[in-house]
Amino acid sequence: MSDRSLPSILMVEDEASDAILLLRGFEKAGVLNPITHLKNGDEALAYLAGIGQYVDRSKYPLPVLILLDLKLPGMSGLQLLQWLRTQREIRRIPVVVLTLDRSPSSINAAYDLGANSYLVKPGDPVEIAKVIEAIQRYWIELNEPPPLVMGAKNDPG
Amino acid sequence: MKGPVLLVEDDPSDARLIQRAFGKMDSSVAIFRLTNGDEVVSYLSGEQPFDNRNAYPLPCVVLLDIKLPRRSGFEVLEWIRRHPSALNRLPIIMLTSSRHSVDINRAYDLGANSYLAKPDTVPQLEQMASEFQRYWLSFNESPDLHGSPNQLRRS
Repeated sequence: MSDRSLPSILMVEDEASDAILLLRGFEKAGVLNPITHLKNGDEALAYLAGIGQYVDRSKYPLPVLILLDLKLPGMSGLQLLQWLRTQREIRRIPVVVLTLDRSPSSINAAYDLGANSYLVKPGDPVEIAKVIEAIQRYWIELNEPPPLVMGAKNDPG
Repeated sequence: MKGPVLLVEDDPSDARLIQRAFGKMDSSVAIFRLTNGDEVVSYLSGEQPFDNRNAYPLPCVVLLDIKLPRRSGFEVLEWIRRHPSALNRLPIIMLTSSRHSVDINRAYDLGANSYLAKPDTVPQLEQMASEFQRYWLSFNESPDLHGSPNQLRRS
């Protein structure tokens, strides 16, 4: 069960079987943050920009973290990342690339476009759960998120 | 073989605590401490006394304080991200006692990969060191710092 008072995590993943494994990983790791699962780059852009069906931010809150697959139908993960980093308010949201692609050129390109981190998706469900747990412990519990995003913690100002 | 973790921390007692917390972990990665912003620039540029890359290899990740003598952490971050070589991809994690919104926002705007607030107690610091190492040294894929520089980086 997720807790709606916690900031959400946006997961952009087109492969249904991968998405199921990742969502199970979140459950196993005891992640209480709501997970928003979107299946392609164009939808993620609409969500992050708050346009179309996603205008209502109380219903579709900005995420505290984006988990981004690279190979997506339509707009690619790298294109979405490039777009995000030019935006005014949401440009600082941490993006963790989570993909099967382990080629150095993709890793370099992701960092060049401003990815905060790059993780390779393991094929094995047990290993996926470990990666999700590491994401939860590092990015949700340890990292200080950009304060503009809802759910910023410990902000004295 | 991964390069060392570069710790940039001017306060000797903070540095000692952080190094001790990292030393507790069973890690093959060394931690190398520098005390001011100018030293980081010299180290990464391979200038004397850091001109021997075998003795002073490029780090796999930098833990960077904000308040530093000479160049500040922000100036160092900006210098790295504007570097004309592939060095500009180096993962930089701010580690500071500031939790101010302006500092957090500025760090992300200048291209910090992550922002960590120094914990108040030693057990919390040990926990942080352990999570940090697990995440950045075993899960995260490092960029190539020696290859051709990118054409893509946002300015």
